[in-house]
This record gives sequence, structure tokens and C-alpha cells, in this order.
Amino acid sequence: MRISVMSQMQRSFSIDLPSLIPLQLPSRRHTHLWYVIPDEVKSTSLLKRYSQLLSQTEKDGVDQMRGDELKKNALLARTLVRTTVARYQTNKEVDPRSLMFKKNVYGKPEVDWQNCKNCNHQPLHFNISHTDSLIACGVTVHVPVGIDVEDKERKIKHDVLAFAKRFYSADEVNFLATIPDPEAQRKEFIKLWTLKEAYVKALGKGFSAAPFNTFTIQSIPGTEEGYSLCKTSEVTADPLEETKKCNGEWKFAPLELADSHYAAVCIEDDQANEGAPMRVIVRKTIPFVEDQLISERIFL
Amino acid sequence: MASLSTTSLSFKAPIQSTTTNISCDFKTSSSFQSISFGRFQSSKRIRLQISCAAKPETVQKVSDIVKEQLALSADTALTAESKFSALGADSLDTVEIVMALEEKFDISVEETDAQNITTIQEAADLIEDLTVGYISFSGSYDWMRQLTEAVPL
Repeated sequence: MRISVMSQMQRSFSIDLPSLIPLQLPSRRHTHLWYVIPDEVKSTSLLKRYSQLLSQTEKDGVDQMRGDELKKNALLARTLVRTTVARYQTNKEVDPRSLMFKKNVYGKPEVDWQNCKNCNHQPLHFNISHTDSLIACGVTVHVPVGIDVEDKERKIKHDVLAFAKRFYSADEVNFLATIPDPEAQRKEFIKLWTLKEAYVKALGKGFSAAPFNTFTIQSIPGTEEGYSLCKTSEVTADPLEETKKCNGEWKFAPLELADSHYAAVCIEDDQANEGAPMRVIVRKTIPFVEDQLISERIFL
Repeated sequence: MASLSTTSLSFKAPIQSTTTNISCDFKTSSSFQSISFGRFQSSKRIRLQISCAAKPETVQKVSDIVKEQLALSADTALTAESKFSALGADSLDTVEIVMALEEKFDISVEETDAQNITTIQEAADLIEDLTVGYISFSGSYDWMRQLTEAVPL
């Protein structure tokens, strides 16, 4: 389903930006995942419009990037966040330029509702992630969300198992070691990376709060795409006594985007919805131009 | 052994790299950066962290590793202040860079330090910090108190 607002764009000219099509907030346990493919955004006039949305700090951030491609992707990332969050404003149209952002005490970006003029405070959470060729933004309500995307073809410079031994948990290393084909092993390594990153980003307390080797993300037996989180307790003298605490507090959704990327979404489980599955709605977008519904997936 | 005078602190430590003495001058003026003490273990070995500029050759070696990891062209101009994120590095790149630095310099970086490196300078400083080694001393923590009293913060 494509929604095009090109005609609206052609009517309004440089001074006023076209209206954004509003969106309904996700319901509980739903994540909306939006992504942009930078190669599909070629129009310099469109990019110029995007740069008009950014705050001065964001513009400085874009300028700091070395090279045109990195600058463009940084611009698209901020544009995606601003336009997406603005569209979820119910009751009134919010200028994406008026949104304010801040970082929590650990450095995780969030919306600063209090300092936004004309905004309704909303229980909306977002998180972004990007690679050279894809920029994604996840949106939830009431629960924190973390996302990570990685290029499927991303080559790891080090030996995959050596890398895993250095940074992943013992159980994850054991899992990877059982995969005989190096290419399949590399792919599983990347998928695991996205899941672990998504969790740390959902937690929102920085990497020191959850070093990668202190938790295991493993697939739930009997499911194809179910993953659970187990925390390894402090290493005791006898590794066999290492106890694990697996809880259902965090839900994971592993996905593939645009045939080119692995992605992972992690949300904190909302106690009110115990037992209900996690739903992810994926949409591709070019801000102000078009949306395309890609998929709606359920994860148990 | 460590010795402290009013103007300079120098120390030798048993280390595996070729670096032997590193001395940093402390002045009472504002050019003094910071001095912090690592955690104590019961063995009374302490790790002294002092912010001094890393040697140019360390910065150069770090730059080479960063260029390789991020697939930058050889003539990309990198300075000590160059930020990894501005060069397009994501967290996986940063971790790979840290691993490469560990291999190159034969050091071991703690995970919290690994994630906090954002520039070439910070990486070089961490390397030099880790290749300085440890000071062993016996006795009480009075030595520590003397140190903090003698050096203005």
C-alpha cells in the first residue's frame, strides 16, 4: 500500500514544508519500524528541505561527518526521527522542527516533551540505528525500545569465534562453535550482534550497564524466531556453577529488511499484556514523499 | 618504585612492551589535566592513570588501524581529534578497532573502556596508559595519601 503526497509537494514551494500524514500511535506490544534507503533519496531539493528541519546542534552534527555520503545519512537519520515522531502527534499537526530532543542520564536520546511548544506529551519511545545503506527508526508506546540493523554482507575483520570469545557470553560462543560453515557462522554472529545491541539500547543505560559477556541471547527451543535473554551471574571459581537467570522481561524480534539487512527489535515486556505476542509493523518511507507497508509480523 | 617530587613524577614498572620510563610533568598551573586512581585490589597494586598526550607514533599506529577497519583511503587525513563516529564507525567497528589495538599493542582493554573510546587520541591515550604498567608497593595506604596531598588537583 503506497501513499504518495508528491502532488502536495509540488503545490507547496520552498518556504513551507508540506504537511506530514499523521499516524496512529502503536498499541501496546506493537513496534512500528520505519526505514529509509539512502540510495532512494536522490533529490537535492528534497534533501535541502530536510536540512531545514534540523536544529542547529543536529546541523553541526551532520557537518562533522566526513564525506558527502556520511553527511547525507546523518541528515536522513535526524529527518526520519523528527518526521516520524511528529506524525504520531494526535489531535494537532506538529511541525517536526519544533520537536526537542534530550539525552537521558546515560546518553540515550529521547523526546523532550516539556520543552516542545505545541506538543502533547505522549508515552512514545523511539530508537534509531543505521548502516551505510539503511536507516531505521523503531517506535513504541509505554515501553522502551531498542533496535539495531546490520548489513547482511558485513565482513568481520577478525576470526568470528575469536571475536565472540572476546566479547560474547560462553553459551553464545558454544552456540557459534557448533556451526561448521564459516559463512553461516558469520551470519549468526551478526544476527546475535543485532539482538544484543538492541537489548542494550532498549535498556538505555549505556554499555557499561550490560557488557556483552554478561548476558546470553538464545533461541527458544521449538520456535523459529523466538529469543530469550539469560543473564549470567558473576563468574564463580567453578564455571559449571555459573547460574543463569532467564526471564521474560525482554522480548525480541529478529527481522530481515530490504533483503539486505538483519535487524533486531527489543522491547521491555509490559506486565499488563502478559502472554500477548509481540507485533512488529515494518514500513519503508521517504519523508514527505511516500510510505510503503512492508510487513506485519508476530513474535511469540 | 615510585618517587614524587614537587615538579615531576616518574616511575618504572615491569612491563612487557618496549616502553620503560614515562615521565609527565606536573605543574601547579591549569595545564595540569587530571589524576585518578584505579580500583584497589587486596594485593595493593594500583593503576595510576595520568592524562598526558600520547606519543605521535602511537597516534599514527592507531590511525592506521582505524583506516584499515573503516576501509578509508590511505590518504584520508586523520588527526588525533578525529572522531570514530564522524568517520562512519558504528559500535561493531569500534569493538573491532579495540580488538585490533589489543593485538597490535599486546594489551587488554576492559569493556567499559572499550565502549568509551570515541577519538583516535582517546585510543592512543588508553594504549599508553595500559603499556605503562603497574606500580607495586608494600605498606599502607599512607603512600596514597602523601601522593594526593603533594599533587594539587
